[in-house]
Amino acid sequence: KGWRSQKGKNRGCVLTEIHLNVTDLDLGYETKEELIFRYCSGSCDAAETTYDKILKNLTRQKKLVNDKVRQACCRPTAYDDDLSFLDDNLVYHILKKHSAKRCGCV
Amino acid sequence: EPALSKGNNCLDAAKACNLNDTCKRFRSAYITPCTSSTSNDICNKRKCHKALRLFFDKVPPKHSYGMLFCSCRDIACTERRRQTIVPVCSYEDKEKPNCLNLQDSCKKNYICRSRLADFFTNCQPESRSISSCLKENYADCLLAYSGLIGTVMTPNYIDSSSLSVAPWCDCSNSGNDIEECLKFLNFFQDNTCLKNAIQAFGNGTDVTVW
Repeated sequence: KGWRSQKGKNRGCVLTEIHLNVTDLDLGYETKEELIFRYCSGSCDAAETTYDKILKNLTRQKKLVNDKVRQACCRPTAYDDDLSFLDDNLVYHILKKHSAKRCGCV
Repeated sequence: EPALSKGNNCLDAAKACNLNDTCKRFRSAYITPCTSSTSNDICNKRKCHKALRLFFDKVPPKHSYGMLFCSCRDIACTERRRQTIVPVCSYEDKEKPNCLNLQDSCKKNYICRSRLADFFTNCQPESRSISSCLKENYADCLLAYSGLIGTVMTPNYIDSSSLSVAPWCDCSNSGNDIEECLKFLNFFQDNTCLKNAIQAFGNGTDVTVW
């Protein structure tokens, strides 16, 4: 039961994909090739660990007034395979760690 | 601009490849070694060849042939097609060896020897047959041809105006073997069976054999 409810809490943080032109990435490449860009989005509101729970409680009790503590963020925990493409001047380029493969509240 | 990009089948094939997880992975897996310069060379040719062989072994022909045998109407397309195998690393070399010498080095390697034999068997032209191939099987000819990519006999398109292909060799300094050398080279450069097979794939005709 614990596992199920724990998992359900962060259902908000999910992998989403969008079909783009490489030029949409605005990284300075001139090419007509395309890609699938995958990213992580959704909320990590529900405290995932005891650590997060303690931070939340301490913030509520105003015991951490001077410190900026961050809640968990929905971020890639693994990246997609490299992407290669040929640009308009017939030069190859390779993008690494450009697209998410798995997401998590970290 | 739209007129030029219209019907660039090679670009469409590259797009389709990157939208397919398997093709995208194995494409990057050979682009990386084929474009990484080493301390004293433009690339590690051995690693580039190995990754190219893996690409043609693992990626479905729909995608791999799509990029290698795409049909073209303009130079932007044919140049892209010529760049598919990253010729500056996988194909070109400082010197052009004699084709018969290259054939000898191919025969010393198990993979190269068997794939060259497959190519001569499956792309054998026959002027009296409808397909121009003795074996009447385009798929087997294209498989044998693409199988040579990543061996010392790696072939590529030699110009941007035709479907003529050749390995990186010529027939200068052939001595008495000049006829044998030209026969070997012309099997690549002037092979109606292979040309028809490439054309049939590019035009999407003769779909039944795939």
